[in-house]
Amino acid sequence: MKGTNIILCGIGGEGLVMLSNVIGEACRLAGKNVISGEMHGLAQRSGSVIVHMRIGEEVLSPLIPPGEADMIVALEAMEALRYLYYLKPGGVVLTNKRLVHPPGETHDLVMKKIDKYVEYDEVVEAIKEAGAELREVNALSLAKKAGEVRAQNVVMVGALCSALEGVIPRDSLIQAVKGTVPEKAVESNVEAFELGVDAYGD
Amino acid sequence: MSFKDVIDEEEREAYMLCNEAIVRAALEADVQLVSFYPGAPQTEILDNFERASNKYDLRIEVAANEKVALETVAGGAMLGKRSLTSMKSVGTNVASDALYTLAYTGLDGGCLCLIADDPHAHSSQSEQDGRWFGLTAYLPMLEPSTPREAMEMVKKGFELSEEFGTMVLIRTTTRVNHQSGIVPLGPMDRTPFEKVSWKDMKRPYTSVGELARKGKKEMLERMENIREKMADSSLNRIEYFDGKKLMDEGGSEEELGVITAGVAHSYTVEALSRLELSAKILKLGVINPLPEEVIKKFCEGLDKVVVVEELSPYIEDVVRRLVKDVDVYGKRTGHLSEALEYDIPAVILGLSEITGVEEPFDYKEHCRKMKKYAEILPQRLPVFCAGCPHRATFWALRRAVGDPDKVFFANDIGCYSMMCLPPIQWSDTLLCMGASMGVAAGVQYAAEEKTIAVIGDSTLFHAGLPGVVNLVHNEDDVTIFVLDNAVTAMTGQQSHPGNPKKAGGREGKKVDIRPVLEGIGVEKIYDISSYEVKDNVDTIKEALAHQGVSAVISHGECALYHFRNYRHAGGELVPYFIDLNKCESVHACVLNFMCPAISVMPEEDGKARIHQDICVGCGVCSKLCPKGAIKSTATMYGGDDKPVLTVEDYEKYQEKKEAEK
Repeated sequence: MKGTNIILCGIGGEGLVMLSNVIGEACRLAGKNVISGEMHGLAQRSGSVIVHMRIGEEVLSPLIPPGEADMIVALEAMEALRYLYYLKPGGVVLTNKRLVHPPGETHDLVMKKIDKYVEYDEVVEAIKEAGAELREVNALSLAKKAGEVRAQNVVMVGALCSALEGVIPRDSLIQAVKGTVPEKAVESNVEAFELGVDAYGD
Repeated sequence: MSFKDVIDEEEREAYMLCNEAIVRAALEADVQLVSFYPGAPQTEILDNFERASNKYDLRIEVAANEKVALETVAGGAMLGKRSLTSMKSVGTNVASDALYTLAYTGLDGGCLCLIADDPHAHSSQSEQDGRWFGLTAYLPMLEPSTPREAMEMVKKGFELSEEFGTMVLIRTTTRVNHQSGIVPLGPMDRTPFEKVSWKDMKRPYTSVGELARKGKKEMLERMENIREKMADSSLNRIEYFDGKKLMDEGGSEEELGVITAGVAHSYTVEALSRLELSAKILKLGVINPLPEEVIKKFCEGLDKVVVVEELSPYIEDVVRRLVKDVDVYGKRTGHLSEALEYDIPAVILGLSEITGVEEPFDYKEHCRKMKKYAEILPQRLPVFCAGCPHRATFWALRRAVGDPDKVFFANDIGCYSMMCLPPIQWSDTLLCMGASMGVAAGVQYAAEEKTIAVIGDSTLFHAGLPGVVNLVHNEDDVTIFVLDNAVTAMTGQQSHPGNPKKAGGREGKKVDIRPVLEGIGVEKIYDISSYEVKDNVDTIKEALAHQGVSAVISHGECALYHFRNYRHAGGELVPYFIDLNKCESVHACVLNFMCPAISVMPEEDGKARIHQDICVGCGVCSKLCPKGAIKSTATMYGGDDKPVLTVEDYEKYQEKKEAEK
């Protein structure tokens, strides 16, 4: 009754809900059952955002239990570590190679409550130390390469496609991307997707 | 998946958010009139209806508050129009005055009221359990667990409402509203909106004294009729779980029974599967009136019955009353909590203790272990957006006040509520919509300090105005701050009476706040532009010095709303930047400012840095920098031929500068 479980996380305003919509729509196109649970509300205000996605015939709960996610996909690395407790032992963390310091951290630094910013290397080291299989994608540079800075989330869909080979067909994902992004941005988003697909193996 | 599916006329399956599915189902059921006040977790219902109203012939309002919304749809139902409203848990408190009496009068047209609870208080001030409204108001109430069930219940709800002549309530929770899944799209058989003659439908909807006593009697009879007719409703179903899978029929040897409703059903089934327990499950879809005979029969022959429901023991206490010879477990036995939302581990823990079957996995220990790795992380709390006018207003207010301990600060519900979060944490009260005005009235009698009451424009129209009237009439000593950002920002920038647009983006009549306050009799009113931070300090000081009711109206459109419109109109953002030669790391742009576009560079002696992809160019930080180190990219190389510069221009400029080095 467990299905395939994916945690998507990041920062409000990064297009995380759109990312989950693409995966959900791709599942529908492929004839697979899918459920997701997402938090809205404060999503646009740079807060931490998480979406639970579950694929499989018998899944019912919109929430993945801690320790049962097959994979965490993070648009920002700190958020991957924040939600690491959802990952099953030895599961995969697929993260964007990017760190965004919350304003509160800057405030604490200036107030000398902390002596330095958290660094990207520290974050991914902690993820590895916890036993996760780490995969990194530089989504920003790939999105820029595809000609659409905002397509970082679609780069991650591409990487996810490689990671989940056999769970969601690539064609369904591409079709879902095409159906979700604005018409004039289809070409660059498909390019971003393809770059993401290739980046996962690196 | 998106709004496209909500209005797609092809009959097929779609991947949809529950709130979208609710709109789809209501459209299929030919709903004619809808009215809402936004509020999580049900706002997407309004958002999708607004867009649908541009395609389908229906009447829609963004109401001033939930009470008005409910009365509006009731008015439509009095003329036989299928009508719907939805509201967040606490919004029902506002609407409940009308709700309780409408249960007495009944309604002839199909009328649905959806109440969206928020266990865990994700985006609400309390974990209020809306199921009691159904019970105490004598209104039928349905509760779906999934988007698919929500669609079924919306359609069924309209039928029941018309059959029994009463409003029907649908209760959801955050994890249902914000759940997506595969749903079937049915036919869209819609009829055009047409006026009808009141003369033909006329009957009194009046309730007082003798009429109320008569109405009560009719209401009780109506409820009894509903109880009888719905006793064997298919919305309540019995399922069997054999330890591995869910079935419609089971063996006869189940000893364990579970009664559940809403999203807790999904947690229950998955908990049973992880514990490999077999059980008989009664999944309730009709939660008022509860099917008492069904419950009694379900429990016959069982050893143990567990009631799994979030929040109060609403079902559990009824089961306890009905069933005497079976052990009933749940909140009253301490196995499940009355607080917070549930999930699979919470139900596993309860079932494990009740049945003695060991937990398959130590979730608590796992979380403890894994969260240790995350201890290096800073918190990521929601903050005011880049360019937010509230940040600017509060900066000036803080400077005008000086020491926050010198005032009593009554806060209210909106984006500005975030002032109570760390690290700023400046708010003495935060209760409910409009409460800042009423609380201030009491505080100013008793406190030696000056009392200030902050309220947003939408909240002022929603529930603040009676409080203002009260302050003025009683000649109280309070300074009101109205944060006029043109929209209901927190929920996604919906319009409100103070916005020139009404529902669906159509032209409406803007209700100006200043004349409203003048009309009420507020003695001193100061209009300020939120972004003029330096000038505003003195104006605010003057307002605070006034004995009596003074008001400061801070005008500045919500940055998300403003810059979205600006970009749609072809405008390009002009971000600011730090002149590193002038920055002396005094950090005026960081302290108590919390702009997501600003961080510091430890490698450059802690000088500030403005992220060009986040800054929208409001320029407030440049006004408060004592060193004059923050400048607009436009000031760098503007000129008549190119007055507006873009992020790309700025990046090119940076690259050029790098190359020159």
